Amino acid sequence: MKFYYFHLMPYIMDHDEPSSWVTLSNRHYDPEAGRGLYHEYLDQLEYAEKLGWDGICVNEHHQNCYGTMPSPNVMAAMLVRRTSRAKIAVLGNGLPLRENPLRIAEEIAMLDVVSGGRVISGFVRGIGPEYFSLAVNPTNSRERFYEAAELILRAWTEEGPFPFDGKFYRYPYVNPWPRPIQKPHPPVWCPSQGSTETVEWAAKRRFPYLMVFTPIKRIAQIYGEYREACERYGYTASRYQLTVNLPIVVAENDAKAERIARENALWVYNVGLRMSTPFYQPPGYTTEPSLRRVLENRPKLPTELTFEDLEEGGYIICGSPATVRDKLKVFSEELRAGIVCSGMNGGTHEKTLEMMQLFAEEVMPHFREDAAVDETAGVGR
Amino acid sequence: MDLLADGDGPPLLFLHGAGGAGRWLPFQERLATRFSVQFPAHPGHGGSPAADWIEHISDLAFHYLDLLDELELERAHLVGASFGGWIAAEMAVMASHRLHSLVLIDPVGIKVDGWIYPFLFGMELPQLLATVFHDPMAALAIAPKDQSVDTLVELYRQQAAVARVAWNPYLYNPLLKRRLARITAPTLICWGEHDKLAPLRCADAWVKEIPGAQLVTFAGSGHVPHLEEPEAVADAVVAFCRRQEGAR
Repeated sequence: MKFYYFHLMPYIMDHDEPSSWVTLSNRHYDPEAGRGLYHEYLDQLEYAEKLGWDGICVNEHHQNCYGTMPSPNVMAAMLVRRTSRAKIAVLGNGLPLRENPLRIAEEIAMLDVVSGGRVISGFVRGIGPEYFSLAVNPTNSRERFYEAAELILRAWTEEGPFPFDGKFYRYPYVNPWPRPIQKPHPPVWCPSQGSTETVEWAAKRRFPYLMVFTPIKRIAQIYGEYREACERYGYTASRYQLTVNLPIVVAENDAKAERIARENALWVYNVGLRMSTPFYQPPGYTTEPSLRRVLENRPKLPTELTFEDLEEGGYIICGSPATVRDKLKVFSEELRAGIVCSGMNGGTHEKTLEMMQLFAEEVMPHFREDAAVDETAGVGR
Repeated sequence: MDLLADGDGPPLLFLHGAGGAGRWLPFQERLATRFSVQFPAHPGHGGSPAADWIEHISDLAFHYLDLLDELELERAHLVGASFGGWIAAEMAVMASHRLHSLVLIDPVGIKVDGWIYPFLFGMELPQLLATVFHDPMAALAIAPKDQSVDTLVELYRQQAAVARVAWNPYLYNPLLKRRLARITAPTLICWGEHDKLAPLRCADAWVKEIPGAQLVTFAGSGHVPHLEEPEAVADAVVAFCRRQEGAR
């Protein structure tokens, strides 16, 4: 199994406002405190490479305290020159959120060239609140996503210049310098919450599918749908096409891990993902069949989740090294996921580094039967 | 298309606002005593299916000009409220010659200097009601019938149909204001004095841009006077439209 260290770069704070997104006033943001946090978070990502993680991950969110990385490519750029081995996964760029998605093709190519081909390019639509924060029309976000993805893939793989005349994006000259170093292009991943349409789209193109912060039952269901779709497209999914993103909390014993999780991991769901009702599902963002599926079997809102829900639902992995190994085996052996992306939060920077070290020493080595495999070979393109 | 129709007299096409589809209320009832009222639900609203081809407010205007053709109405009185007022104004800019008269009730659709429409899509229900209604109890008239999955999906479809043409620029067409001068149909602007979505200053902009437009305001109403003071608004509409007929 491959391990990727994932960061949200949260601005952890308590507040009584109805939403941590879009409307939470940025007067709460103290740039000096933010400076300290950014450096700690970048240190953690760099440390992950030293400890043996296979990849490090950044991602894009706007106008919130949950994740302060409005431009993931900026953060990836900082990491590229400070690392030398780990993959750098941008999970991802919100394609429909960019007025001019050719810029994404250019920026990822820059990162790929400077890093010597270590970049993984996530393609996402962005979650509901981004459409409020960036005033992008949610009703055609899926169409824009598909068209921007086509543009970017062609920009990476076809010799320029060529014209591109889409419904949303039009260029007389597509001809980005630089071209990416990876051939035919950097691997593309699809982080998603499991909409049927995205599962199909990713499976068809062999793009790895990443389930983010979802209960384990739903992961199993969506993995099943993805594998089945791959078979329909005439191939068998590699385990490295099935990726999961969930927080891990590891400590000397279960009790201590639980205490840390209650203090830290719960914040992400209960506060970080608190948002006004309209932000969850902007009009037209979700297809009607997907909306029906959600409404008919309405999951708990993140703010309603208790530690027990997270633990029993498999939203997080928490415990002693032995417990964490057992729980990870469910992912590696039962769900047959090839890659686990996880962030950690020990409460302070130092404690987070200690937790990372404990995980790298006591857990990771037990899952290294595939150490010699390149997880990006043959998938994602 | 989901089309309600009733009444006798000269034809009158009513275009509803967001959330106002498919309810024959006292306002329509009163208009129907003098007019043959045609009350369609916009695509994606009420019983009208969503239409992918509608990508711009002008598509809706063409949609209703087509409806006038289908109903074989050479001319009609056109009454539009809020979002429906926006569509009506777009139609009037394109084809004033098809209109006996134009009545706009708290329309949106133009950018008014010094005013930014509050973003209804981002509001929780209580805030939304407080923005749209002077007396939130008036909202009961168009409250969803239940909280079933079917109803929630229908509401979502309706919101999406509006968002499709009104998300950004929010609630206006940048080209419409300077085109309003093309309107030759006699025009009445009705406005709720307590409108918090598009306050009275917006009414002044419409009156200024549409040649000869008259303004009548309603002291007990917010953004939806035809729901808040249906009799008074209907009477004003009837009186205005009859006057135009008498003038010919």
